[in-house]
Amino acid sequence: MAIKLYKTPDLHKPTLFVGWPGIGQIGIIAVNSLKDLVRAEEFGEIESWDFFYPRKVSIRDGLLEGLEFPSNKFYYQRVNQKDLLFFIGEEQPAEGGRIHASGEKAYQMANLVLDVGLRFGCERVYTSGACVSPVHHQMKPRVCTVTSSEKLRSEVKEYSNTFLMSELGEHREGDGIITGLNGLLLGVAKERGLEGMCLMGEIPDWLSGASIAYPRASRSVLEVFGQIVGIDMDLHFLDKIEEQVEKTVESFYEKFPPEMKEEYDQRKVIPQAKPGAITLQAQIYIDDRFKKGGDGGGESPS
Amino acid sequence: MGVEKAPVEIYQSPRLRNSSLLVLWQNQDVGKLTSRVADVLKEKLGGKEISEIKPSGFFTFGGVGFKNDLVRMPQSKFWAFEKQNLLIFKSDEPEFEHYHFLNTLLDVSKDHDQIKELYTLNAFPSLTAHTRPRRILAVFNQSDLRERCEREGLEPLTWEGPPALSSYLLWVGQRKEVPGVSLWLEIPFYLSACGDPQAVQSTLSFLDKRFHLGLERGTMDTEIEELNEKIAQLRKENLEMDRYLTLLETGLGLEEEEQLKLAKEVYDVLEKRA
Repeated sequence: MAIKLYKTPDLHKPTLFVGWPGIGQIGIIAVNSLKDLVRAEEFGEIESWDFFYPRKVSIRDGLLEGLEFPSNKFYYQRVNQKDLLFFIGEEQPAEGGRIHASGEKAYQMANLVLDVGLRFGCERVYTSGACVSPVHHQMKPRVCTVTSSEKLRSEVKEYSNTFLMSELGEHREGDGIITGLNGLLLGVAKERGLEGMCLMGEIPDWLSGASIAYPRASRSVLEVFGQIVGIDMDLHFLDKIEEQVEKTVESFYEKFPPEMKEEYDQRKVIPQAKPGAITLQAQIYIDDRFKKGGDGGGESPS
Repeated sequence: MGVEKAPVEIYQSPRLRNSSLLVLWQNQDVGKLTSRVADVLKEKLGGKEISEIKPSGFFTFGGVGFKNDLVRMPQSKFWAFEKQNLLIFKSDEPEFEHYHFLNTLLDVSKDHDQIKELYTLNAFPSLTAHTRPRRILAVFNQSDLRERCEREGLEPLTWEGPPALSSYLLWVGQRKEVPGVSLWLEIPFYLSACGDPQAVQSTLSFLDKRFHLGLERGTMDTEIEELNEKIAQLRKENLEMDRYLTLLETGLGLEEEEQLKLAKEVYDVLEKRA
């Protein structure tokens, strides 16, 4: 199980931003976009073979040219005299066919990411994911946060369009679980003495099961990242993909029967505490092609 | 963070020198190829079981599988054929820790002997007729070995997509500088479930030539003859099946429904009537 660093950048207490795929790809789009916007440079990786089965083989004219594994890469950049460190994992290590990270492998992966962060003196880590909520898709998604300390809880208040999990209707006590590595990493970071915060973009509950990206929520998270890093970001690059997804979501919405639409539209004016029957009904309108399918495997020469 | 060493049990140390390793995965066993090849080699060459990789950590233990009414646990065993300088590893494909498993496989093989070459045997269903010769497609992990095998009648495979475990093993072998080849035997799709003695024969011929095993020629002749006779009878009795087989013989394909019909009829003739 190895970390491979191609070079050792000179970093001073960098802030670590970490992203893995998850619901609506909200977190990974946000972290990856921030990494691209600041033009962070790749400098290392965690070797994949201990965590993942290869996803692609290339065989040409009888010769095995190579295997392709999901990547786990580190990047760095200095912005406004602040050092930033990024980790982007293309897949979450999971056991027993689960989608989200689980088991010993996930714990090992989280520790390896933090090993690199700590090596460069990192003191704070940000992860990002989805907050599945009874919200309306036409509303601007807010960013829900969970932090590792009281100090960070008060810091959240400084950022616009954010709220603490305890302020979300059904989670008045702020209890819950952040599934997968975007959550686990925060826990492991806390164990190892790092501060941490998870920024979760809101996604309407009925869309959380569809395997479509939800870039509107990634935009909201990115806006908060901008405040954290202290930079103005041009997020126009998200317009096109947002438009495409909105078109799809609107097409589902248009098919809702009038009484269902009326009930759902209540979400625009009255904050909902719980999903309710509308969530299940709305999910029916999601085309099957957006549901997650199984994976095939193995060569099939013919 | 270290990786735990896989539990390996070694029963005895064989006398091997510069041997070849043949890996047989037995999970899917298209055309019963790997199980039949393993049985014939054991029967004819008299190999002995020398070690095993224990299943713990590599397989789910949510229950137990059974085959022909007999329960069976996942097995991963090495057999040595000293006279022929051949090591065979017959195993279920692991469900977890593939990289760890494949490394252990090669490490244990190297503990037994300095492995000269690695071979894996696989089969794939094809839209071909049983009356046509079986093609053997091949994937090499070194160009030198590909060149050395040029006259063996192997067809180079080209593929881009999800990898089979054999390709993963070749890749691990490549990193450990063990030259290797994956053999992919073509099986007429309608023989996938019942077994294809002709493919077994083609494999044995290749292995015999490659490893100088001294196998008798025509080991599978009786089985091939019986199968051919039964299908010939089916063609006489069922003109629709005869037409399908003729199409396959002339290199033409079949519709999905036709494929299903043919597979069912052949299965009935070979398995049920038997």
